[in-house]
Amino acid sequence: MSLKILVVDDEPQIRKQLSIGLSGYGYTVNTADHGQAALIAIAQHPPDLVILDISLGTPPDGIEVCHRLREWSKIPVIMLSVHNEEKIKVKALNAGADDYLTKPFGMEELHARIQAVLRRITSEQPSVSPKSEIRVGALSIDMINRLVRVDDQEVHLTPKEYELLRLLATHPGKVLTHRVILNAVWGTEYGEMDHYVRVFVNQLRKKLRENPTRNIRYILNEPGIGYRFVGDDPT
Amino acid sequence: MQGDSLKKSIRSALLKRPQWPFLTVLIFSATLITGGFRAELTLANFTMIYLLIVVIIAIQLGTRAAIAVSFLSFLYINFFLTRPYYTFLVADPREVLDLFVFLIVAILSGQLSAQARAEASKAHQRAQEQVILFELTGQLNQSAEPNAVYQILDRVLRTDLNARAVFILPKERATFEHYQTLHYFLLQIEAEIYGTLCVVFDDPLSPEKQRLLQTCASQAAMALHRIALAERARKSHQFEESDRLKTAILHAVSHDLRTPITVIKTSAHNLQRLYDPQTQLEIAQTIESEADHLDKLVGNLLDLSRLRAGALQLNRQLNALEEVVGDVAARVWQLTHQERIQIDFPDDFPLLSFDYGLILQALSNIVENALRYEPPGGQIVIRAWIEGKSAHLAVINHGAAIEAQDLDHIMEPFYKGHRGHIGLGLPIAKGILEAHQGALTAENVAHGQGVQLILTLPFA
Repeated sequence: MSLKILVVDDEPQIRKQLSIGLSGYGYTVNTADHGQAALIAIAQHPPDLVILDISLGTPPDGIEVCHRLREWSKIPVIMLSVHNEEKIKVKALNAGADDYLTKPFGMEELHARIQAVLRRITSEQPSVSPKSEIRVGALSIDMINRLVRVDDQEVHLTPKEYELLRLLATHPGKVLTHRVILNAVWGTEYGEMDHYVRVFVNQLRKKLRENPTRNIRYILNEPGIGYRFVGDDPT
Repeated sequence: MQGDSLKKSIRSALLKRPQWPFLTVLIFSATLITGGFRAELTLANFTMIYLLIVVIIAIQLGTRAAIAVSFLSFLYINFFLTRPYYTFLVADPREVLDLFVFLIVAILSGQLSAQARAEASKAHQRAQEQVILFELTGQLNQSAEPNAVYQILDRVLRTDLNARAVFILPKERATFEHYQTLHYFLLQIEAEIYGTLCVVFDDPLSPEKQRLLQTCASQAAMALHRIALAERARKSHQFEESDRLKTAILHAVSHDLRTPITVIKTSAHNLQRLYDPQTQLEIAQTIESEADHLDKLVGNLLDLSRLRAGALQLNRQLNALEEVVGDVAARVWQLTHQERIQIDFPDDFPLLSFDYGLILQALSNIVENALRYEPPGGQIVIRAWIEGKSAHLAVINHGAAIEAQDLDHIMEPFYKGHRGHIGLGLPIAKGILEAHQGALTAENVAHGQGVQLILTLPFA
C-alpha cells in the first residue's frame, strides 16, 4: 500500500502541482485548502505525512495547525513557507514541525525531505534497535566504544565534542536548533550561550577533517537556525 | 603676585551683594574710634575715616545710601566730634569750611564709586551672559535631534539661569500671559513653530535676564529649525535615491524579468505540441532553470529594495565566518563538481557578530561574481585576516583587471560594465555589509594578478 500524504495549501495551483508531482513518486495524495479542514481530515483519515503551508490565507495559520496537531498526534509534518526568514522557521520547528522547505523548491528536494523524515520516524520507533555504528562517507562513529574514525584513523574528541557529534549524528537530516543542541549537550543552565555550539561545531569540523571545497561535510548549517547532520546519502 | 590676588579678592568681596556684618562692624568701630579719641584726633582724621566709609557704602549699596551716609556723617561729625560738643555750632570757622568740603567730596566720590560699581557689575553680568550663550549655542550646534535641544535648553536654564522649572509645550500656546515669575516664548523661525518654551522662576526677572532668556529661546528655535531642515534634506535625498532605484527596477523588469517569462511561456506551449521524450526533457529543464533564474532576480530585487529602504532587520549573533565560507564553497562544489575555491583561514579566527543568512548571501554573490571572471580551471582564493578592530575577507579572482572607471561603479545597482552583466549581486552584498557597519571594496591586485573584493566586518 502506498504512503498517504496530506497537502495543505490555500493556493489551488500549488495543491494541483504537488498532487501531480507526489503521485508521480508513488504517494497517495489528499489535499486541504485551510487549517480547519486539514485538522478534520487528519483526524478522520490519518495520513503518513502532512505537507503544511505556513500562510494559509484564513486562520488558523500553518504554525497554529501544527501546534494543535501536536497535542494529539505525532504524524510527521513538513512546513512550506515563502518567508526566507529564520524566525519563522524556528517558530515552525518549535511548533513541532519535522522539517521545512522554502518556496520555490524543486520536487526532487521535497521528495528527498519526505524520505528523510519518514526514514527517521521509522528508525526512532522503539521496536527498532538503535544503531551501534553510524557511517557517513569517511566518517564512522562506534557508539558502543565511543570511538570516532575518519578514513580509519581514530579521532580524539573531548567528551563534549563527542556528545555534540552523537546528538547530531543520531538525528540525520533533522534540523536541530542551536538552543536544542545547547540544552541537550550543555544543559539548560547555559541559557542563551548559543555561541558555545558554534565554537564546538567549528572545532569538530576541523577534527573530522571536513573539506567544504570538495563538499566533504558531515554537519550542515541551517543559517540562523541550527545544524543538520547529513543524511545517510549525502547530497 | 600676592598683592594682585589680594586686590582681586578685596574687589570681589566688595562687589558682591551687601555684606551687612562687615558694614555694621565698620561703622561701629569707626564710631568707637572717633568717639573715644575725639580729643586726640583732628577733624582731618574724622573726615578721612568717614570718606572711606562713604566710598565703601557707595560700592556696596549704591548712590542713595552713599548720599544719606554722607549727610549723616556730616551731622555726626558736626554734633559729636567738633567743639563745642553736642551742638551744631562750630568753634573754629576754618572747620566749617572743612566740614562742607567733606560733605561735597563725600557726595561726589560716593556717586563716582557707586557708578563704577554699577558698571563693573553690569560688565560682569554681560560677560556671564556671553559665556552662557556661547555654551548654549556650542551645544545646540552639535545636537542632531529635537530632544537633545530640549535637554540642553532645560539644563542651561535650570543651572545657569536658576529656573525652577522648564517645560517645552508642543506647538503653540493660544494665549501668553506673562506673570512675573512665569515666562512663555514661542520657538519660531519664520512661519514654522517648533513649540512653546515655558519657564518658571522663583523671583521676578530683571530686564537683562529676560533678554537673555529670550535670546536662549531664539537660539533653541534656530537649532530646531536647522535640525528640521537637515531631516528634510535627508528625506528628499532618500526619495531621490528610491526614485532612481525604481526607474532602474522598472527598466530591469521590462527586460531582465520578461526574458525568462517569455522562455517559460514558449517552452510550456512547445511541451503541448512536441512529444519526443528527449525534447520534452530538454524543454522541462529549460523551464526549471529559467524559473530559478526568475526566482533569483525577484529575490534580489526584494532584497535590494529592503536594503535601500533601511527596513532590514539584522539577526545578529556570534557566528564563525569560516562556516559561511565553508557553506559557500560546498555550494560551489555541488553546482560545478570542481574544486574552484582555495580557502586560507588563520587558526583561532574569532567569532564575529553578524546575521549568518545575510552574510552568507553577500559572500555567495561575491564568490559567484568572482567565479565568473576566474579563468577556466583556475581557483579563486578566499583569505581572511584580522587588522585593527575588524575582520577582513578577500575574495580574489585571477581574471583581467577592471578598468579604473568601472571599479568605482561595479557596486552600483544595474550598472552594466563593459562585460555586460546586469549587476544586482554586488550592490546587495555591499548593502548587507554596510548594514553591519562593515564595508565592501574592490581593487585590482598588483601586477595584473586579478581583482580582489574585500569584505570588512567590525568586531562587536
